[in-house]
Amino acid sequence: MRDSLVIFRRELKSYFYSPIAYVFGVLFLGVLLYIAAKGSLVAGMQASMQGFFGLLPLLLLIFVPPLTMRSWAEERKTGTIELLMTYPAHTGSLVAGKYLASVAYLGFVLVLTLGLPLTLGAYGRLDWPPVVGAYLASLLFAGSFVAVGMFFSSLTRDQIVAMLVSLFVLAVLYLLGHPLLAGLFLEWLPTWGVDLVHGLSPYKYFESIARGALDTRDLVYFACFQGFFLYANALVLHHRRTKG
Amino acid sequence: MIEVDRLEKTYGFARALKGISFSVRKGEVVGFLGPNGAGKSTTMKILTGYLLPTGGRATVDGLDVVERSLDVRRRIGYLPESTPLYAEMRVDEYLAFVAEIRGVPRDRRRSAIARAVELCGLTRVTGKDIFELSKGYRQRVGLAQAIVHEPPVLILDEPTSGLDPNQIVEVRKLIERLGEQHTVVLSTHYLQEVEKSCTRVIIVHQGQIVADGSREELIQRRPAGGLLARVRAPEAAVLAQCTELLPGCPTTVVERGDGSILYRIDVQGAKAPVEEAFARLVVKNGWDLLELHRERPSLEDVFRALTLGSEPEVARA
Repeated sequence: MRDSLVIFRRELKSYFYSPIAYVFGVLFLGVLLYIAAKGSLVAGMQASMQGFFGLLPLLLLIFVPPLTMRSWAEERKTGTIELLMTYPAHTGSLVAGKYLASVAYLGFVLVLTLGLPLTLGAYGRLDWPPVVGAYLASLLFAGSFVAVGMFFSSLTRDQIVAMLVSLFVLAVLYLLGHPLLAGLFLEWLPTWGVDLVHGLSPYKYFESIARGALDTRDLVYFACFQGFFLYANALVLHHRRTKG
Repeated sequence: MIEVDRLEKTYGFARALKGISFSVRKGEVVGFLGPNGAGKSTTMKILTGYLLPTGGRATVDGLDVVERSLDVRRRIGYLPESTPLYAEMRVDEYLAFVAEIRGVPRDRRRSAIARAVELCGLTRVTGKDIFELSKGYRQRVGLAQAIVHEPPVLILDEPTSGLDPNQIVEVRKLIERLGEQHTVVLSTHYLQEVEKSCTRVIIVHQGQIVADGSREELIQRRPAGGLLARVRAPEAAVLAQCTELLPGCPTTVVERGDGSILYRIDVQGAKAPVEEAFARLVVKNGWDLLELHRERPSLEDVFRALTLGSEPEVARA
């Protein structure tokens, strides 16, 4: 636990040492807020965050892989992983520290978007509970993507490969839960098959929480999904010790 | 301090370590010598807990490196090959990070970092980003991070490779100073490094230990390949007599001084002791013998002899 915190702090700092944090933050916020504000900060319209949260998953899909591609791949490429893995810390705490740092960074960026609902709340009547729920859902959704991105980063020493593979996998996971694609599946899959495929996608659970219904099952899903990829990540690192 | 017992490591089909055994006592500075790919780095990676062995076992301070990995890691300071560092961090920040993850208690951290900075001569650069530093300074940062938690054992993988001659001398001095307080295992392919800083040499070749002992022991173990004789006599006569009476021992002229000539007689193919036979020749012909002794092999000869052949000849001390 203590080790995780030490790693967490170093990782988070390293985001802000590199231009990544700033470039990423500015682009992410710029695109998101511009489009969302255009849709919702219009006189006479209902004060709603729907446009914002409708766009957020797609932006996370595009922005998370470049953010997480470095986490292990770069350590392997530069060789710092050899020091990292010989510190007196469990592999699990290293994974947890890195994961928490990425999630904290994304959480920080999400906090920076609070200006939008605050403005809406000031000038119109904003229904806050669903907004709070949607922010929570966004964080869980972002965390899931981070877990996937980190896992694929642990498999290679090439950051670009890590990014492309996680982008592809996340896109598939995203689309599986999207109503558009679910419609296509209905054509040839039995209903239980659609439900199964649909149920794998974090997007489905994001939608469910973002709609304002906080269901324990959704939380359990996110916990399992992230736990699975983080555990697999630790296994990959551990396995490499025996393989060399 | 370190006990290695029939350690084996296989990468896929390649056997990197074929059961090596050695032990290092407290306070020793041991040099691991060997050609590239001999198994030096692999041994070090197993000792530090980065890799798991395929067979055999190793202990540090009596603790098994596999079962008690975390406890072993606490006792080791490690500098991997090519000195990987987080280049985007400042020197002082990086050392603070290492001290913390290495478990130096909060109240001792500041003094531990100050000690490492002082020992490694980093005072002037603590506020700089690591990527700004020259290779020599980076190497010092690498050494500083290895000693910041005052580990009893230091494992340094090629600490001087890639440095210029001045930097090599500096780093070597630093290692000598560290050797006063730590048990050190270092790998290198510079022979001078071993001669200068190590109390003991282990030569590794193709995953096996081919020699283990102090520098003097290793040199003595190597039979001299030649007999050197300085004789005052006509050159042609000496060469002719030697060829005739010392069969299998080609004689060559090493240098011609004023009046005397230094010959080298190859004794590797000799059946009888060559010294006696040559002495009889001298007496019989009435030459003046000025000097007669065996060639003194250098550590380099020992190293080349042990590692050039494809089948290592095992000469354990």
